Amino acid sequence: MRIDESKKVRHVSGENIVIMQADGAADMTQVVALNESALELYNLLKGREFTLDDVVRAMLDTYEVDESTARIDAAEWVFQMREQHLIIN
Amino acid sequence: MGSTATFTIGGLPLTLSGGKSLAWALALPGMEVFREERADGVTIHLDETFTLPECRWLHRFDIVDGMMECRFGVDAEEVYHYTFGDAGHLRFDPRKPDEVRVSPLPDPSVLRYVLWTAYSIAGLWRGAVPVHASAVVCRGRAVLCLGESGTGKSTHTSLWIKHIEGCHLLNDDSPVLRVEGDEVVVYGSPWSGKTPCFRQERAPVAALLRLEQRPENAIRRLRAIEAFTALQPSCPPALAHDELCTDRMVDFIGGVISRIPVYRLGCRPDADAARLAHQTLMA
Repeated sequence: MRIDESKKVRHVSGENIVIMQADGAADMTQVVALNESALELYNLLKGREFTLDDVVRAMLDTYEVDESTARIDAAEWVFQMREQHLIIN
Repeated sequence: MGSTATFTIGGLPLTLSGGKSLAWALALPGMEVFREERADGVTIHLDETFTLPECRWLHRFDIVDGMMECRFGVDAEEVYHYTFGDAGHLRFDPRKPDEVRVSPLPDPSVLRYVLWTAYSIAGLWRGAVPVHASAVVCRGRAVLCLGESGTGKSTHTSLWIKHIEGCHLLNDDSPVLRVEGDEVVVYGSPWSGKTPCFRQERAPVAALLRLEQRPENAIRRLRAIEAFTALQPSCPPALAHDELCTDRMVDFIGGVISRIPVYRLGCRPDADAARLAHQTLMA
């Protein structure tokens, strides 16, 4: 999988946001907020192909968590990022 | 060719130059209100003959109730172009942000929209953004009602004017919003939708109000991310399809929502909705 970098993370009023521009009606635009840890993983993993194991490793390197917690959190992060169309493939 | 006329719109000095299109522009309802003797600022060159280069089209949309297809795109030199059906086209080079060029138009029908488009892109580079809103001024402070077309923005501001003392309409479609120092301010404009309300007037903005039709009246202050989502769709939509324009727009919206509160009002079209909003925003 890969982070879709065509969607840019922007900073506004202390929030990290990604604007999902809809085609057609402008009012369909969605804004996704990334919290600090979601953004940190995003920055660590962008620009390359990665697997779920890479996400787990990035979590273990960055946070003081045990492997089983990291595995659950990594799966959750990937799930959320896919839901928001920020991860492709 | 070679005639000019000067204006101040949204606090932005503006020169229009051209021939036939300039004469049409001067005859548009409301334009006269904004005439001022100013030399600097942005120039919109009307009646300029230039060819439309190959473009990467970022956005297509309809105006005149779906009768005319417009496009917004960028060429190989990173110059922005709009086309207005077969009627004409417009170019804006962000490296020369004080100039907009517009091709000759066959008739005045699309001119008001062309001028709005020119203003919306040049204004973004100067921090002056026409926002799709109905703006009411109450004892010197303004509230902008935002919402999709048909939500009842005009209805809601008319309820303020009818039921709350000291209120008047500033603009009913496209007032100009700016950040000036610590303040957010709004100006009247020559673009006021179906209501001919053209005022050369500036007011500090107390709050933005995103409207939604609901069976009960309820108001809530929005968090930053919600406030962003409330204002962003009301800014000129084509510009949201380009990264550089979006960068500028995001900075602008961030500046607005960090200075003034944004509320969501679920409302009926009644006096109580106006009173609830007035009490909450102006207390």
